[in-house]
Amino acid sequence: MFDALFEGLRLVLTWQAASLMLVGMAVGFVVGLLPGIGGAATLALMLPFVFKMQPAEAFAFLLGMHSVAATTGDITSILFGVPGEGLSAATVVDGHPMAKRGEAARALGAALMSSLVGALVGAVALALAIPVVRPLVLTFGSPELFMITVLGIACITSLSGGGAGAQWKGIAMGLAGLLLATIGQERQSGTLRFDFGFTYLWEGLDLIPVLVGLFAIPEIIDLAKRRSAIAGNAPPEAIGSGVWQGIRDTFVHRWLVIRASLVGVLVGILPGAGGGVAQWMAYAHAVQSAKDARDREGFGKGDVRGVLGPGAANNSKEGGDLIPTIAFGVPGSSAMAILLGAFLIMGLNPGPEMLTKHLAVTYSMVWTLVIANVITVIVCLALLGHLAKVTRIRGELMIPFLLVLVFVGSYAANRQIADLLVTLVAGAVGYAMHRNGWPRAPLVLGFVLGKLAETYLFISIARYGFSWLGQPLVLFLMALTVLVAAWPYLQARRERVRARTGGTHG
Amino acid sequence: MDKGRVAFAAVLAVVAAGAIVSALPWPAKARLFPLTVAVPLLVLALAQVIAALRGRGAPLDPDDALPADVTPSIARARMHAVFAWMAGFIVLVALIGFPYTVPVFVGAYLAFTRATTWPRALVAALVAWLCFHVVFERTLHLPFEAGLVQEWLAPD
Repeated sequence: MFDALFEGLRLVLTWQAASLMLVGMAVGFVVGLLPGIGGAATLALMLPFVFKMQPAEAFAFLLGMHSVAATTGDITSILFGVPGEGLSAATVVDGHPMAKRGEAARALGAALMSSLVGALVGAVALALAIPVVRPLVLTFGSPELFMITVLGIACITSLSGGGAGAQWKGIAMGLAGLLLATIGQERQSGTLRFDFGFTYLWEGLDLIPVLVGLFAIPEIIDLAKRRSAIAGNAPPEAIGSGVWQGIRDTFVHRWLVIRASLVGVLVGILPGAGGGVAQWMAYAHAVQSAKDARDREGFGKGDVRGVLGPGAANNSKEGGDLIPTIAFGVPGSSAMAILLGAFLIMGLNPGPEMLTKHLAVTYSMVWTLVIANVITVIVCLALLGHLAKVTRIRGELMIPFLLVLVFVGSYAANRQIADLLVTLVAGAVGYAMHRNGWPRAPLVLGFVLGKLAETYLFISIARYGFSWLGQPLVLFLMALTVLVAAWPYLQARRERVRARTGGTHG
Repeated sequence: MDKGRVAFAAVLAVVAAGAIVSALPWPAKARLFPLTVAVPLLVLALAQVIAALRGRGAPLDPDDALPADVTPSIARARMHAVFAWMAGFIVLVALIGFPYTVPVFVGAYLAFTRATTWPRALVAALVAWLCFHVVFERTLHLPFEAGLVQEWLAPD
């Protein structure tokens, strides 16, 4: 195994593989910054270029590009409130308010360093999981996967912010997100739901236009109303100088970063869940791990922990995603499905062969994840101070360019003008939510998890009737779900008891 | 009582009720999930309508406070204006396609909102077009469909 590990490193460090990785990283850097053009779309665009490459070169090129796109997506999210890609939307929630407060460099430093830690955790998980992955993945059938999505939905209570009243609003928004996910053709019976006669809605709403509209457009409206720079009146010298503070934050909250990374790995392993789910679940975990309601108040308004959690999960899920792809040929996400195409182009069969005969190639992927992320973070850290100064530019000058980015990003995914209208409507809804104190994060989590939850529920019932409800792992996940949903209330109760006891003794 | 809050919760309740009514005639498999979601949504939305009518709810985020020189009417006018610009962008894309919309929109926005002078707006429009062309069209090879005007001018 160690021989293969070092052989993998040697394969990545050959000049052909290393230079192709750098080219891939340069493409990934730009793609990550542009909203809407996700890593998956870029992988598809670049797939034809790998025909003449050796396996290690091809994976260095493709994975280098993919992992960098995931990292740099956070930059656009933090600076402009425009999600760099679907995956990085959760970073907007706390990252952009930090930028508005003049702490863009700190937020960027935290996002990048947590991304690096996440990538390293993901790569280690991939390396360790290779020998033991089979029983782990086979443990999860549709009932367990359904319960995992329910567990994710239960996190909504943590994403709501505010007091108990706000939690009901959060649950309502989560339900609205789930309802939004039911638009389109129902897969079991073929019934068209909420299509209003538009063929565009048969496939359901795409995530990117909804996300970009919900988060970016309210920020642009805010900018237009104020006509000031994103960073407002924050002192210019402070804006570019918080990078090291952000890096320090990663180590101060190291256990949160590691736990969020593990959330990313786990979600990455699950088929169909995707990076967006990983980020939102990691964000929910960051909120939930706050000590009490007061400690939780800062989330959504620029708490650095709200950047660290999603940042870490964003990159750790790459390692998790690769596990079932390599071990079974079962892609965990659309990006991995495209990567599977590269395996076939290379003449490699994902499965046991990748864990025996081609183990060195498998480990070369682990090394690519590590090296690409280390280089990206070093390059980005060198540029961060300058990048953060973008938040000093006058709002009126930024708005047309931001709108172009928003609409090109929404259009690029499916090339449909209707997506632009969806973005505008989602923007109006997002603005109304923001103005009236309704949280947007639960809506997104519900929307992201809705289709998955419904699909797994139907498969579970079709295959097991209702007997799956008694399976041990399902029961465990149910108990965990109840605990997660009740956690904010339990915490509040504990605080009340503590305050009473303190009052009695004091 | 905050009219905006009442209106938002009421719209949410109407959406949930509409979803329930629409879902009822569907086959059991198709209606199970939407009904499971829409019924509690309706209850929660109605509860929020009542709470908003009674004036309950957390105060608005103090970060949303506008600068002293921006009155609510000015803020509203600016919000409507930026929505109009966004709608205009979409209409332009439908008419002349993305590659022409990008420079026209950037130049027009900067010039008509007096964000900068006309010559600078033209330079910005040129830069926007160049960036769009190099990044999206030449490097990423993203196809952008022609607009209706191009189709009228050259139907084939």
